[in-house]
Amino acid sequence: MERVARTIRVGEEIPSLTKTAFMPIDPEARNVIHTDDYTRRFGGRGALIGGSTLLSYVLEMLYNYFDQSWLYHGKISVSFIGGGAINGDVLTAHGLVTSVEPEEAGTRLNLDIWMENQTGAKIVVGDASCIQ
Amino acid sequence: MSAKSGFEAIPVGLDMGTVEMTLDEDTVNDRLELVQWEARELVDKLHLAPPGIGIVQHAVMKFIKLPDMKASIWARSEHEFLKPMKIGSKIFIRGKIVDKYVKRGRKYLVTDFETVDEAGEVLLRSRETSVYVE
Repeated sequence: MERVARTIRVGEEIPSLTKTAFMPIDPEARNVIHTDDYTRRFGGRGALIGGSTLLSYVLEMLYNYFDQSWLYHGKISVSFIGGGAINGDVLTAHGLVTSVEPEEAGTRLNLDIWMENQTGAKIVVGDASCIQ
Repeated sequence: MSAKSGFEAIPVGLDMGTVEMTLDEDTVNDRLELVQWEARELVDKLHLAPPGIGIVQHAVMKFIKLPDMKASIWARSEHEFLKPMKIGSKIFIRGKIVDKYVKRGRKYLVTDFETVDEAGEVLLRSRETSVYVE
């Protein structure tokens, strides 16, 4: 919509989005993966950032590109891989256009999406699509 | 009394109930802060909540319904956005367990969630696959 300045082509990336991950740590969290004690017991680096927070970082990247269309036509499917993220990790969400399909309501862009941390390790992978 | 407990005892088809959420300004601002949402015009000009604002409730619903669950780790998360969520409105999230399985020793739950507005219109459809830890 307004912020989509030009037609993007298959094989091109939409603008990425970088955040420094942060989530308040509650040692009494009901879901123990969000506590330092539990994760460190199993060799982890610390309390894991919630999946819905990581998803929100990706959603903001998609909203930034597709604008309000995302709220009506956005579809996303992601898997959480690797060791997840902890506070202070620098995470960058990416989207690469893989195909374009005409639909009654417009043109649907299909994207591979992923999020990587400061070491380049992918922690979220999947796909998304939206009508442009 | 059933000898089954925990994961074994969870019936596929289990209704996760319905959670009501009021998208008042405080709730929306808390979410914006938590996820460091920077696209402010969505909120300030359009008076809409950031997409995915209710998704965090899905895990809360599971912990309420499944008291033996110690941890829930997202493995896969699928969402279809159908209508925006307005600030000041109420949304209702209902869920249902649609599958469960064990793979490589890990226990998985597949749960469908639907978020509707006060008129019953569907705003968001979600399917989440999570590792169940007892």
